[in-house]
Amino acid sequence: MFAPIVLLPLVAAILAIAIFKRPQAAKYLAIAGSMIGLVLTLAVGYGSASIPWFSVGHYTISLSIAVTPLNYLLLFIVMLMGLIVMIYSAGYMDTLSEHRRYYIEMLSFQAAMATFAISGSFITLFIAWEFLSLTSYLLIGFWHSKERANRAARKALTIIFIGDLALLASMVIFWNIFGTLSFVRIIASVSSHVSADLTAGILLLLLAIFTKSAQFPFHEWLIDAMEGPTPVSAYLHSSTMVKAGVFAAILLYPLFSSAGLSDIMLVFGVVTAIISTLAASREYHVKRVIAYSTIQELSIMLVAVASGAIIAAIYFFFAQSFYKALLFFTSGVEMKSTDNEYLNEISGLRENKLVYLSTMFGVVSLAGFIPFSGFFANEGISISLLPNLAVYAVMSGISLLTSFYIFRWVSYGAKRSKNAYVSGNYRGQPKSMVYPMVLLAALTLASSAFVIYIGSFLNYGGYLAYLDIPGSLPSGIADGIVFLVLISIGAVLGYEVYYKNRIKMSADRLDPIIYTNPIINWAYLAVAAITYAAAEGISAFDAYLGDLFDRIGRVTVRSGYLVRRASVGDINTYAAMFIIGILALFAIFYYLVIL
Amino acid sequence: MIAALGYIYSLFALSAIMIIGNLAIRIAGGKRLQFAFNLILPVLLLVNMGIIYAFGISGLFFGAFTINPFSLLFSGLFTLGLLTVTLIAFGYSDEYQDFAVIIAFALIGMYAVSMSSSLITIFLGLELSSIPMVFAVLLSRRGIEAAAKLFIMSSIAISVLSFAIVLLYGSSNSLALTSYPHSAVVAFAALLFIAALGFEASIFPFNVLIPDVYTGSSAYITGMLGGINKKVGFVALMQVLILVFITDSKLFLIVAALSVLTMFYGNIVALMQRNTKRMLAYSSISQAGYILIGIATATAAGIAASIFQIFSHMFIFIGMLGVVALLESRNRNGIDELIGLNGENRFAAFAMALFMLSLIGLPLTTGFVGKFLIFLSAVNSGLLWLAIIGILNSIISVLYYARAIMAMYTGKAGGNPIIMGKPLLAALILCVAVTIVFGIYPQPIIGLANSAAGYLISV
Repeated sequence: MFAPIVLLPLVAAILAIAIFKRPQAAKYLAIAGSMIGLVLTLAVGYGSASIPWFSVGHYTISLSIAVTPLNYLLLFIVMLMGLIVMIYSAGYMDTLSEHRRYYIEMLSFQAAMATFAISGSFITLFIAWEFLSLTSYLLIGFWHSKERANRAARKALTIIFIGDLALLASMVIFWNIFGTLSFVRIIASVSSHVSADLTAGILLLLLAIFTKSAQFPFHEWLIDAMEGPTPVSAYLHSSTMVKAGVFAAILLYPLFSSAGLSDIMLVFGVVTAIISTLAASREYHVKRVIAYSTIQELSIMLVAVASGAIIAAIYFFFAQSFYKALLFFTSGVEMKSTDNEYLNEISGLRENKLVYLSTMFGVVSLAGFIPFSGFFANEGISISLLPNLAVYAVMSGISLLTSFYIFRWVSYGAKRSKNAYVSGNYRGQPKSMVYPMVLLAALTLASSAFVIYIGSFLNYGGYLAYLDIPGSLPSGIADGIVFLVLISIGAVLGYEVYYKNRIKMSADRLDPIIYTNPIINWAYLAVAAITYAAAEGISAFDAYLGDLFDRIGRVTVRSGYLVRRASVGDINTYAAMFIIGILALFAIFYYLVIL
Repeated sequence: MIAALGYIYSLFALSAIMIIGNLAIRIAGGKRLQFAFNLILPVLLLVNMGIIYAFGISGLFFGAFTINPFSLLFSGLFTLGLLTVTLIAFGYSDEYQDFAVIIAFALIGMYAVSMSSSLITIFLGLELSSIPMVFAVLLSRRGIEAAAKLFIMSSIAISVLSFAIVLLYGSSNSLALTSYPHSAVVAFAALLFIAALGFEASIFPFNVLIPDVYTGSSAYITGMLGGINKKVGFVALMQVLILVFITDSKLFLIVAALSVLTMFYGNIVALMQRNTKRMLAYSSISQAGYILIGIATATAAGIAASIFQIFSHMFIFIGMLGVVALLESRNRNGIDELIGLNGENRFAAFAMALFMLSLIGLPLTTGFVGKFLIFLSAVNSGLLWLAIIGILNSIISVLYYARAIMAMYTGKAGGNPIIMGKPLLAALILCVAVTIVFGIYPQPIIGLANSAAGYLISV
């Protein structure tokens, strides 16, 4: 079992960058490390292994890795996207003095993500999960002289760490129920362990998944995370890390289905999808539109998992990586060329034909047009939702809006720029930024061919039977046509309103529905306020007690400087607490033993 | 057996040399000599203990001291901790020599507690290890108030402890660390033990003076108090609770309740602190709550987990206070002193961040292994609710640790680099290395903890 070998070049690159203090060398070392990592990934075979980490009593905690088809798929995405993003970064990151820090953090993230991809038990998953949180925090706050970046990083860290501890709690509960943390063994015996405890454990796991994959009500951090550098958004916040939650949901699908908790996933998925789609249609920040779109796609994946459309979810999971990263790359080009971050100031994209064409591949695929990968993914999910007509109707509406907002987004960029300087900027983008985009556009198209093989690919070694899911991607002509009609309407609408300006539509009318964000922000504040109020209350109580005993103290203790000085600082409180503590112990003991 | 006795004798001889030598050098020698002496002798002591452990020598010696894996582990651990504190203390040049003499006495007290075979040895050992700390706190000029408080509260705790011992003796004419026939008097004594030792181990509500004492004394003294002295309290608590009261399952329910109170108190009040030392003081109280979870399980696995957590927190806490000592050397001891530390000393900021992340439970550090073992042992003993409350508390602690880490890395401070003395640097490197190395490869420590716990619970 040689899967961890892919980590070696990454670690080597980190060490090399740390040792050679020349910032110019950092990007080459990073690209070399990623490239060797990708080559080694191709040589990785299926299997599993575990080594004992530590044992206590007669229990042994092992570090387990497993490479199933699903694991391999994620590992491949991580390594491939890693290389592409490193190359793009070489052109994008122009602050030379920060190069070493940037590439060390990126490579650390890649290593953590690769470890996550091949984890075979909760313990390995948790370790990788924590390091994902940490590296993500570092990368979101990368521009740490920007106050907003710091706040965003802290928000992300707090929310994600709470999710991490929820994962730890669910892990402890699973250990209690199953006596093991290995995925294979848990899934094998899940049906005989259905209990209230298991439900609690799975709910906590869902909480962790929701925080990591930015689902309502935890989705705000991903929007704030756009303060990080654009390659970071493309890598962490679209194609890899945020999908960790969805990946865990698929990997442990039998757990959810056996406990009958799929409905919760479905409800939260649909709510998130509605919120994020509406927000994406209204947002003016270049990257945030794509971030909302990422949240929406993650929620669609969860809806698909909850409805049992696992193959479609996995295919979406795979295909989405390429065009979503591509659109982030486009945002990067737009922001760098115009020095602006808002949609109505970034026109001129068509000056660079290669970039523009690649972007259109991404846009069309995200909207879901045939024959791009987005079509097969969306169509596969859409048809699986048919039995549940209400959800199907909502998700169809969302498909229409998706196509609308992405054409809105690209329309702003595609307009002619009146500024010759900006046009020049667009044309003069470095090759290291343009070619990765072309490659991603090609992958967006090519990955649609994978739809034919995905069933047999995943079914290697009876993997689908193990996950207890049907082995093919559903499709239907009628449904496909309905879907295409819907997204065409959305696309035409977006084009007519925002590019040709032939239809006047005031988006402000949607505001009351869409502006859910302040409410969500307010809810966060409320939670924080409650925590702090409790603490404030205890501290006030503490001060009050001190004051009370202080007054008693001043009356009774007047002998000796030392003692008097001490009495000013609440020594009476402490003694009183001690006595009260003993009395309380007696009371409890009396209650427990004698009554 | 003769050879065995030889090693035991040499251990006692070295302990005596530790005290006499320190006294002599304080009178006649210089600071550097004292420092060198206090680096070499602990190493010799450690080697001696290692030999005793390797030969598997155990038993009762001189009618008062038991040598077994448990006592050796803790004697060694406290020696190692003291060595680390010595490295930090050397930076406080005008206090250092007095400190060296004081801790020599305290160390012997710690050995007595670890190796105690009877209640009276525990009593004497606790006295000997805690009373010198009153003087240690007095070393810094602003420590008078803190020292007075510590003295008064220690006296109360000690008197309660002696009362508890008297009750046991009165009911059965024995001072041995074995279980006593069940009676109301014994139960009464048990509660008094929990209160008195709870003070020594910083358990709520017997600990409320701790933040005052921690802020009132120099950073290295605080490190010594929180990192080592409070752990001595835990050693005494473990011995008494397990060896004497193991059959009383309701008592362990009370211990579980106390651990919940201690965690919540420490974490919630820590949220409100802006002074770093106070925040660390409250966070160390919450850590005491975690350690108590393992004891509350009353199983070998739980005790082993607690021992690992004691080991982990000892080095983390001393390391944290080492960083605070660095700030104190620049007279930065007020509100929010951590702000912008990264701009002034990168290694100090890294070490502090690592320690805090470890306390939150970052994998591949000792903090994670300790917490994980503790929660696991709680779950395996049917205390799932206690484990969940522990995790809930970790969530609360994220808030204030994250705030501190952010302050170090993003805040703006003077920006002038702070130079770290070599001994302090060595201490920090040691603590960081322990935190990472035994976080990645914890088996050696877990093995020691297992054998120690097995000895305690199967006696």
